[in-house]
Amino acid sequence: MDEHDRELRNRIYAQLVELGRVPTIEETGADDESLRRLHDEHALVLEPDGSAIRMLSPFSGVPTPYRVEAAGRSWFGNCVWDALGIPAALGVDGHVSATCLDCGETLEVDVIAGRPEPDDLVAHFLLPAGRWWDDIVFT
Amino acid sequence: MNLFRSEEHTAHWLRTNGYEPGATMPLRQLGELAVAWWADRLDPGWRPHTREQNQALLEAVGLTGPFWKLP
Repeated sequence: MDEHDRELRNRIYAQLVELGRVPTIEETGADDESLRRLHDEHALVLEPDGSAIRMLSPFSGVPTPYRVEAAGRSWFGNCVWDALGIPAALGVDGHVSATCLDCGETLEVDVIAGRPEPDDLVAHFLLPAGRWWDDIVFT
Repeated sequence: MNLFRSEEHTAHWLRTNGYEPGATMPLRQLGELAVAWWADRLDPGWRPHTREQNQALLEAVGLTGPFWKLP
């Protein structure tokens, strides 16, 4: 990643914090080519048609089953790993509301100083690390 | 990566949906990984992790072996 792309990427993340959500393509002020490069470099994930930012990991640009309350705002994580990563990225405590994918039971998790509570719930990785980026939305 | 009430619920969901099991871990361990992996993401001077850095982060929380080998 060259310096131009790194600065653009850092600017988009700063916008996310200012706005309290993933910015629109228009709000980034970035050209399609630069955004496509960031997508190819896995710095963000564009929707297939390039019309929006789907993932600014660990933050999601679309609602997901992983809602996170942190820093006085509501966010969505792309998955449970990312949901726990949002308080970590913001440097604050947080709360994750999710559902058990099997039974649909609501699971409420406090994240205090990076530690989830209760900590006896279970996370499952379907794909091995070597295949995460084959289809990151599925992963 | 999905969240389940228990290992039994994970196994039931895998069976119901016809998926081969991947890797399961307690949320405590995923919390450790989340801090290690994501804590620098909003730093103004952020630079991309190398593959080697990320592999070391996985290993540091005990995630070793072929399943956790990054490409």
